[in-house]
Amino acid sequence: MSVIEVNELSKVFQVPKKEPGLVGAVKGLFRPRYEDKQAVNQLNFQVEAGEIVGYIGVNGAGKSTTIKMLTGILMPSGGTVRVLGRDPHRQRVENAREIGVVFGQRTQLWWDLALIESLNLIAKIYDVPPARYKTALEQFTETLELGDLLNVPVRNMSLGQKMRSELAAALIHQPKVVYLDEPTIGLDLIVKERIRDFIKMECGSKGMTVMLTTHDLGDIEELCQRVIIIDGGHVIYDGPIETIKKRFGKFREITFETVEKAKPLDLPEGAETLLAEERKVQIRFDRTVSTASQVASAVMNQIEVKDFSLSEPDLADIVKQIYNGALDMEAK
Amino acid sequence: MIQTLNRRFSVYSALFAMIPKMFMAYQLWFWAGMVMNIISITILYFFWDAIYANSAAISGLTREQTINYILLAFFFMPLVGNDLLWEFGSNLREGLMIHHLLRPVNFQMMNYAQQLGGLVTRMAFQLPIIVLAVFLFDLKFPSDLNTWVAFLISALLGFTAMFFFSWVLACMTFYTTEIWGLGVLIEGITIFFSGSLVPLAMMPEWLRTIVLSVPFAQALAVPVGLLSGITPLSDAPRIWLIQLVWIAGMGVLSNLVFHFAVRKITVQGG
Amino acid sequence: MARYIDLYWLFLIQRLKTLMEYRISFILGAASTISMQAASIAAVWVVMQKVPSLSGWSYNEVLMVYGFVTLTKSINHMFADNLWTLGRVYIRTGGFDRFLVRPIDPLFHLLADRFCQDGVGNFIVGLALVIKTSVELGIEWTFLKVLMFVVAVISGGFIFIALNLITAVSAFWVVDSVPVTRLIFDNHLFAQYPLTIYPRAISILLTWVIPYGFASFYPASYLLGREVGNVAWGAPFIAAFLMFIGYRFWQFGLRYYSGTGS
Repeated sequence: MSVIEVNELSKVFQVPKKEPGLVGAVKGLFRPRYEDKQAVNQLNFQVEAGEIVGYIGVNGAGKSTTIKMLTGILMPSGGTVRVLGRDPHRQRVENAREIGVVFGQRTQLWWDLALIESLNLIAKIYDVPPARYKTALEQFTETLELGDLLNVPVRNMSLGQKMRSELAAALIHQPKVVYLDEPTIGLDLIVKERIRDFIKMECGSKGMTVMLTTHDLGDIEELCQRVIIIDGGHVIYDGPIETIKKRFGKFREITFETVEKAKPLDLPEGAETLLAEERKVQIRFDRTVSTASQVASAVMNQIEVKDFSLSEPDLADIVKQIYNGALDMEAK
Repeated sequence: MIQTLNRRFSVYSALFAMIPKMFMAYQLWFWAGMVMNIISITILYFFWDAIYANSAAISGLTREQTINYILLAFFFMPLVGNDLLWEFGSNLREGLMIHHLLRPVNFQMMNYAQQLGGLVTRMAFQLPIIVLAVFLFDLKFPSDLNTWVAFLISALLGFTAMFFFSWVLACMTFYTTEIWGLGVLIEGITIFFSGSLVPLAMMPEWLRTIVLSVPFAQALAVPVGLLSGITPLSDAPRIWLIQLVWIAGMGVLSNLVFHFAVRKITVQGG
Repeated sequence: MARYIDLYWLFLIQRLKTLMEYRISFILGAASTISMQAASIAAVWVVMQKVPSLSGWSYNEVLMVYGFVTLTKSINHMFADNLWTLGRVYIRTGGFDRFLVRPIDPLFHLLADRFCQDGVGNFIVGLALVIKTSVELGIEWTFLKVLMFVVAVISGGFIFIALNLITAVSAFWVVDSVPVTRLIFDNHLFAQYPLTIYPRAISILLTWVIPYGFASFYPASYLLGREVGNVAWGAPFIAAFLMFIGYRFWQFGLRYYSGTGS
């Protein structure tokens, strides 16, 4: 049995229709009109134990609605959702014991309490046996470098410190399933790296199942082997990252530093000039039509080249393409 | 000239159109406020009614006089308002200070005008309750024009004296972060010392002296005393004079305290 | 159950530790609530110097009623103050979801999250008033009377909490539930004085509809040996009934919230 099972999951919201102007405001007060908004539409997917899955989509695609249903906060309109065999809404408390949640924008720690006090309180709430709590605490203090932070109240922490504390708080009770919502938002690169390393190590080694929602595709690339893309309430892609890259990452770019001034070039099929400046030429080519060496030699035969570099497809670009319907085009 | 009038008119009409919108947005608050007022005057009425159950007069005041006074004092509570404390203590403080230090307009006078406007608005919102009291509790207003004039002058003078005093209190916010506690503390003091709960005449001599030595009563008990007929009109000129002295004293004090408070901010950075 | 008691204790300790840091705030909070009480009490004192009886109740008897309502309302103030903030602080910001993701009852979490120290001022004043007036009136504290006192205070406290809860649930619909709570809560002011001074309609309102009367007038009547006082033994039943309604309504509100999201 999978850890997370989502079957024909749907959620419809009733949104009040607002009419503009004063008349509209009065009408809205006495007889509000509602319209249906389908946030999530017959979602289907399964997550197995130990997977770290990226869950991405544009704003309003239905990501947070899905997560809310998975965590038991929201009740589905249709379909079923099972986490560790339970209905997270009906069996809220039992489900809550085995999950950990990080809401990137909102802290679950107490604002005025020292971190250690928050952690003590959380340990008590989750009924963590004292011995296990002690071990976990020691371990996290080391891996997340919390030593100096334990006596600092959250309100005095920097963003990076807050996030490290947040992770400790979310995992201190060794949950089986972890939901991370924008865990690296607003953090600088170095801290991001540390957080990612921690997640990889901690969740990977303990066999935790992780669902990661984020707009930072660097997170996805580093942490997830599998990615689910949601758009308009549907799953539009569910599979390994590698496959996406191979299927949609068909474009590559070579940037040439030239000795001569740039001039119009005769390029092999599938290649086009992106940029032609004083001493710089950027060519984009379709990997499935021409090879890198074909393009490079073609260019170097026509113009004297000092140096060149080849860039791999960016996951962000690929995802952008997918949002823009590359999947539909594939189907055609 | 016409242009400014036009501009003013369009601004006012835009503001006016906002009022019904705001009304609807704060509908629940409005009703909650109304209910609170109704409850308050009901309690006041029946309390005093019970007090007078076996007496025709207390301290020379009849039942009608006292109840009238108490109800009037309740309605004119905005005269002893304490908004300045909240404004000074809010996050807007820095903006306010910059206003003060940079603009050529007198900061205090600007606030005075604002508070006066606020007073008028508040009194307007009291109207429904006043109407209710007239029908339910037999509230009576004097018909004599002289009484009204005497009252209005005294009310304005008292309000002004209280304004300067509030100014002094509001400066306390520069020295502490505990705005809320301070505000509620002052509210409690205000309610009693303004004479809104008990007519001055009923207080023992020593208490009355204390009450009259702080400015709260000048803004409420004193003018309402005139309006309710408890204080004879012949006393009016003497009353106005006393109030003017209060204004002078409080005016000077407020400017002094403010000067030092602002210095504290500009030197220490608030 | 024991677990929840343990848990509440821990929440409370943490909260007190935080409050200790803001010592001035603590004192000022207590002082401010006391000043409001002082104003009313001073007014009653002044008036009753002149008139010894308020509808058959003496000065000390009136103060006893006043003390009772202050005492019972302080319990709500201390332990259930967070209900006022449910909408503005938790639902509007999405912070309420945090409670739903934890394996404890969200209502418990909401209440335990903030013990309000300002209520302590009211508690002290209320208790002092009841005790002082009972001494002045020469009331003999028999076992039965002490029992009634304890029962009445706890029941009265729960009546306040229950009514607070019922109105606070509106936050799931209107978010800012404060005016709704005030509509009901402000009625407790009637109960500051003996209900006999009001016309029957109000007396009935405060006995059977918004039963604040059971938090002050009836227990005080009992202690003062007045006939109507035996009704006071109904207080715990009313409290239990209201809490039951309150909790069911809360669950209803929760179901709505998890159906429509925020």
